[in-house]
Amino acid sequence: MADGTPPPDPAGPEPGPKGQPDPVGPAPSVRPFLVTAGRVAADADGRSMPVETQVVATTEGIDALDRLAFERHDIVAVCRLPQSIAEIAARLRLHLNVVRVLAEDLRAAGQLTVHVPDSGVVHDASVLRRVIEGLRAIPDSRGVTP
Amino acid sequence: MTTTEPATVRPPLPVKMVIAGGFGVGKTTAVGSISEIEPLTTEAAITEVAAGVDDLTHTPRKTTTTVAMDFGCLTIDPTLKLYLFGTPGQERFGFMWDDIVEGAVGGLVIVDTRRLDDCYAAVDYFEHRGIPFAVAANAFDGKVEHTLEELRWALDVTDGVPVVVFDARERASVRDALLVVLELALTRTGE
Repeated sequence: MADGTPPPDPAGPEPGPKGQPDPVGPAPSVRPFLVTAGRVAADADGRSMPVETQVVATTEGIDALDRLAFERHDIVAVCRLPQSIAEIAARLRLHLNVVRVLAEDLRAAGQLTVHVPDSGVVHDASVLRRVIEGLRAIPDSRGVTP
Repeated sequence: MTTTEPATVRPPLPVKMVIAGGFGVGKTTAVGSISEIEPLTTEAAITEVAAGVDDLTHTPRKTTTTVAMDFGCLTIDPTLKLYLFGTPGQERFGFMWDDIVEGAVGGLVIVDTRRLDDCYAAVDYFEHRGIPFAVAANAFDGKVEHTLEELRWALDVTDGVPVVVFDARERASVRDALLVVLELALTRTGE
C-alpha cells in the first residue's frame, strides 16, 4: 500500500481489539485527493459510478501489473475476478471516490473494463423475477446444501 | 450493461438493495445473515441537512460527512448478483444517500420497536424517492413491543408499504423480508 502499511487481508477487515471488525481501519497517511491528483469522481452531471458497478482486469492490465504502482497495482490485482467498486474500496481500504477515479483511469488505459449497470435492465421485471426465484431457492440456514 | 471494451471476464449484472435504519437496529446482522461473504465495510459520503436553520441566513445547514457502510452480496447465478448495502440513518438529521441508493431496486427499513423515531428519516427518504420499500420490525429476543397495526399507525406509512416482523439473525427471515420488497418492486413494473 502507498502508506507503507501491509496490505489488508483480502477476506475482510482485520478484527479490532474486541474481535469486532475495525469499521474504519488505519488512518491513511496519503490524502485521497493526492492519490487522484485532485480529481473528483462525479461526471459533468454530478453523477458518479454506482457503488455496485462491476470492474474486471483485462489481460493487458494483468500483463501491466509489474509496471503499475500503489493503488493502481492493487486495484488491477484484486480485479482478476469481477469486483464491485464498493468491494474494491473495502478490500483495499481506499475511499470510494478514489476507486471511482482510478478505475476510470485504468479503464481509459485498457487495463480494466468497467461495467456500469443499466438501470433499465436492472429494474426489468424479468430480472426481478430471477432474483426472486434465486432468493426463494436458498436454504433456510447455512450448512444445508440446497 | 455498458461495456466500454471487450471484457476479459463477463461480470454478473449487479442488483442492489438497501438496508436502512437507525444505529444498532440490526442492519449488519441482517446483511451477514444472507450474504455469501462476511460483510465488508467502506466509507460513503452522506449529505446531511441539519434539522435547524442557520440563524443568519435561515437556510438549512448542509454538511457532507462520511459514514461506515456495511455490505454483502449473494450470487443468484453466474450472470446475476444481489448486493445488499446497509446504510445508517442519522438521528435528528435529514440526509441524502443518493451516492449509495442510486439505481437500487428496493429498500428494507429495519426498526427497533423500542426506538421507532430512528427509522423516520429512512422511511421519508424512500417515500420521497419513490423507491419500493418495506418496514421490518426486528424481533429482539424473539418479540416486538407492538402489534403490526400499532406499528403501522405509529410509523404513519401508506397502505402500499408492507410492514413485517422479522429476525435479523435468521437467514430465512431476512430472505422472506427481502422477497416482500422484491415482490413490491415487481408489482411496480406493471407486469
